[in-house]
Amino acid sequence: MSAHEHHEHPTPAQYWKIAVFLAILTAIEVALFYIDEELDLQIFNAIALISLSTLKFIVVVGWFMHLRYERPLLTRFFTAGFVLAVALYLVVLSAMGIVAIRG
Amino acid sequence: MADLAHDTADHHPPHESTGIDNRKLGMWVFLSSEFLFFGALITNYLLYSNRAGYDGIYPAAIYDIPFTSVSSFVLLMSSLTMVLAHNALSRGDQNGTRTWLFATAALGAVFLGGQVFEFTEFIVEYGMTMQTNPAASAFYLLTGFHGVHVAIGVIMLLSLWGISRRQGELSEKHGMNLELVGLYWHFVDIIWIVIFTVVYLLSYPPT
Repeated sequence: MSAHEHHEHPTPAQYWKIAVFLAILTAIEVALFYIDEELDLQIFNAIALISLSTLKFIVVVGWFMHLRYERPLLTRFFTAGFVLAVALYLVVLSAMGIVAIRG
Repeated sequence: MADLAHDTADHHPPHESTGIDNRKLGMWVFLSSEFLFFGALITNYLLYSNRAGYDGIYPAAIYDIPFTSVSSFVLLMSSLTMVLAHNALSRGDQNGTRTWLFATAALGAVFLGGQVFEFTEFIVEYGMTMQTNPAASAFYLLTGFHGVHVAIGVIMLLSLWGISRRQGELSEKHGMNLELVGLYWHFVDIIWIVIFTVVYLLSYPPT
């Protein structure tokens, strides 16, 4: 372990709780897919699914990858790559006039 | 001289100006760059997945959501077993480390098996191949490259597990390797979180 890793990481029991939380979020996502097929939630379905997916993403990166316990430099590197990629490809999709998602 | 260098590398990690182990920093920068790689493949899929006028079946018309949901759950749980392996090693629990490493590799293998089954079903049952249309091609390209990443992860996990079994324990050096493989594995998981939502739950064939 590096000297800077002095923050308390979660315990195994806490990791299990985080995994259960992630599983519940996944179950809600799948349920939303079927609810949308019945009720046609349109844009609200896309917003809800992307929000849930983002939450899962943040939990895995923050707790399982321990980014929230690491030095800010790593967060900056990782966030920079993510933001650059999302911005770049949103520009591409917008330029092509296509956002081919349900909603 | 070589022995001294070896000894220094093994027991006294050189001081880095960032305060972060260079190998770990390198892995985070690599993973950050992977966003551009997978971003290109996801964008490619979004561009072609529901464009009307292609011959043949569209991937979004034949997705098996219950099956893919189970696969997603399996990969998500492999992130749990990975972090438990890392946690066990930090507590000096070598047996626990080996067990969770093997469990992670096994769950990764189950995910890969599911992907092979899915691809086989799409090809045999529905006749959707890489050549069917650009939508199918984009689907196979994206999920296939993700599968390759999972396969590389499984190989690395089994390598660590094999080293641990042969040597009886993972040394400090291999402890860092486990951390790096863990970062890679979690990254593969978060990419799937995005693919599952954008490709499987939110995409639809042209009407």
